[in-house]
Amino acid sequence: MISFDGVSKSYPTPYGRKAVLDDVSVVFAPGRNLGILGVNGAGKSTLLRLISGSEMPDRGRVTRYGRVSFPLGFSGTFHRSLSGRENVGFIARVYGASVKKTLAYVSEFAELGPYWNMPVNTYSSGMRARLAFGTCLAIDFDVYLIDEATEVGDERFRRKCAAAFRERTRSSDIILVTHNARTLRQYCDQGAVLTDGRLRLFEDLAGAFAHYRTLLAEAA
Amino acid sequence: MSPTPTQLLSYYVRSKPSAATEAAGAADVSRAAEHTKIIASAKTALRDAAYEGSLFSTPRFVVSPSRNPNAVLSPDPSASTVDFEWALNACDLESCLHRLRTEESAGLAAAARNCRLAEALFHAGRRDEALECGSRAFDIAGGDSHILDFCAWLFSNSGCHAEAAEAYRRLVSLRPDWTDGYRHASGSLAAIGAIDEAIAYALGASELARSSSELAVHAAELLQRAGRFDEAAAVLYSTAAEATPDPALLRVLSGVEMLRGRIDAALAAIEQAIADAPDRAEYHLHRAHLLLRRHDRPEAAAAIGEAAAIAPDDPAVRRARIALLAADGRLGDATALAGSLIHDHPEDEAAAETARHVLDLRRDLPEGDEIIVALGFRPKRPLRPQPGLLSRLATQRRVIRALIIRETRTRFGESKLGYGWAVLEPVLHISLLSVVFAIVMHGSPPIGSEFFVFYFTGLLPYHVFVHASGAMGFAITGNAPLLQLPLVTTFDVIVARGILELVTDVIVALLMLVGFAAVGLQAVPAELWTPATALAATAALGFGIGFVNAVVTVSVRSWDRIYAQVTRALYFCSGIFYVPGMMPDWVRDLLSWNPLLHAIDWFRSGFFETYQPHWLDRRYLLITVLLAVVAGLTLHAAFRRKLSEPL
Repeated sequence: MISFDGVSKSYPTPYGRKAVLDDVSVVFAPGRNLGILGVNGAGKSTLLRLISGSEMPDRGRVTRYGRVSFPLGFSGTFHRSLSGRENVGFIARVYGASVKKTLAYVSEFAELGPYWNMPVNTYSSGMRARLAFGTCLAIDFDVYLIDEATEVGDERFRRKCAAAFRERTRSSDIILVTHNARTLRQYCDQGAVLTDGRLRLFEDLAGAFAHYRTLLAEAA
Repeated sequence: MSPTPTQLLSYYVRSKPSAATEAAGAADVSRAAEHTKIIASAKTALRDAAYEGSLFSTPRFVVSPSRNPNAVLSPDPSASTVDFEWALNACDLESCLHRLRTEESAGLAAAARNCRLAEALFHAGRRDEALECGSRAFDIAGGDSHILDFCAWLFSNSGCHAEAAEAYRRLVSLRPDWTDGYRHASGSLAAIGAIDEAIAYALGASELARSSSELAVHAAELLQRAGRFDEAAAVLYSTAAEATPDPALLRVLSGVEMLRGRIDAALAAIEQAIADAPDRAEYHLHRAHLLLRRHDRPEAAAAIGEAAAIAPDDPAVRRARIALLAADGRLGDATALAGSLIHDHPEDEAAAETARHVLDLRRDLPEGDEIIVALGFRPKRPLRPQPGLLSRLATQRRVIRALIIRETRTRFGESKLGYGWAVLEPVLHISLLSVVFAIVMHGSPPIGSEFFVFYFTGLLPYHVFVHASGAMGFAITGNAPLLQLPLVTTFDVIVARGILELVTDVIVALLMLVGFAAVGLQAVPAELWTPATALAATAALGFGIGFVNAVVTVSVRSWDRIYAQVTRALYFCSGIFYVPGMMPDWVRDLLSWNPLLHAIDWFRSGFFETYQPHWLDRRYLLITVLLAVVAGLTLHAAFRRKLSEPL
């Protein structure tokens, strides 16, 4: 469960401050898979960082009752001159997971072969994505966060990821941000729409879709 | 315990290609066997009935029960009719057939005989021979309405729709007001695909009986098949205007209106039908479908609910519920329901299709097995309590440790010499200073006897301060991606860098002390307390300023250059390669504002027992340290939110 209590967040832009959230109070219930819809630039990624805790709100309070992942497949934390093994070891240590087990899982999952012990800057983008997904999946989170924009890699690996991910969702929740209603339909059973600093939570997907459509129609 | 839908569906999906086909095949086989059995028993029954000759509800050419035992004895060809009757009554179909095949085929009587035998043969299950006789009768007397009547019946019941259609055509032209004839002609024509002609006859029938719902519905259905929706609607409306329309007609009308795109009219029709026949689940389903077309999902759900209340186990109703759930994105529920549907109707193709549709929606997962795993039966995790202070500290300790391990690899990992550089660099630095000053100053250092030790005592605190405060200054900007990890805070990365620098410097110092001892230089201080305290104070000063640097660097990007000038100035102002006592008093007073100078002198005083400078003010140093730490942490806390933003 994650609760937002009067959370505000805005950004300076050349055209003045842009509010991503404006005094939002909401509770993301456990046991539900939440999909957050928003047009490009609505602040979806910022919202995800606020949820994850990697960013702090300007005002208000975000409380997490459980371990929240970093965005799935995010490879930005990898140090370019460290090997895949060293990078994964770091994440495992940060999350207090068994380094040995995590390394075993990821090296098997990411299929990097000899690159496993080579610096990340020698990796192709696909290899980096495999490493990132493997790392996130290796750690037992209560809530997994997904930014739909994240690149996954080739088709075969995409399937492998989906399979492993499903395995995780047996006991964990997911929060997914996307501007694509179809993706949301695939993973989620609860929808929310982020627009103009407001986050509206809907009990079912249908309501969220209807609201999102209206917004798109208004914008058009 | 019965299997869960999950298991069932999983079974279904895993075995989809083979098992589903097998199940369907098995069903077919058993159905076929059933069918054969029914036909066989029907045949027996019919044969028995032929003996009695009275059991057919609508006999066309009834076999007379009267018997003429003499007739069979009569060899007279003129008595052939009597012989035929006798043989037929005796159910000697073979001899009847033989007779009709060999006798001259002409006249109404011969046609009638053929018809009679055809009927008997038909009921005996000998369809081909029945048709043979029927066709003969048709050829002999194709203009007689009674013969035609029988032939049409025989042909249409034997699946010879083309012949039946021809018979009905002739019948209708003979009896232009025979409504059923039009209807039958239309049916036979429709069966052979002559839709337009079938429609013409159907409309003819409907014209003759304008108030008949059944005929209007038939015509409308044919028109609908031909895509002529407007005409279909017209027929239905005109019949509806004649009499109170029955629900079946309204149902067809609703379908036609839907096809015409007139959803409101379609809804009105089906609602009227439901008012007349509220217990027909299919009507509710149709209404739900229309409501969905109007995007009225709640109402549609309610309609499906009513259908479910009437016929909860009806596969069509359950399919509709599944479709609704799937459309709502509630794929877990939809999949569960689809699982139970497949369980109850394993051979139902539409059920399998619906399940497949639900699985398709979960296309994120290519393999069925994975899809199944994700169904909505997962146990809720207990809420984790908010971490207490101890667990937060434990997390922080863990994170800082991980960061330090990582930093050691990144900071020293790029060159082959690695960590060695960290040791070698100050050694070379001190050596250079020693050599240069040994030459310049011709003799001994200001205190002690070894240049090496003297410069070591000056440079070590300086390095501890400068390395820590400098490296911490880059902590946030240099670790921006790491801060995307929610557990890693700006505080952690700053502290981790400081600790790493401090530990490195201390290790270097210890290595050098060991080195001094190895080459015979007297360097190890008499007591370690003073230099250790002095070094701790220096480190704390470095940490305080390091925090300030880290925060300022985020806003003032050129801060590192400015700070580099500050450290360069400190190099000359801190008494590293001289002692303040060598300076004029006013210079020394000025320099003593520099806390680092006090730190170095304090540290030196631990190494050289005789060196107890009177300007050394430990209280001033400690107050400065306290101020620096408070300033650094306050600044960090004040800008904490801003610092967490991605750079």
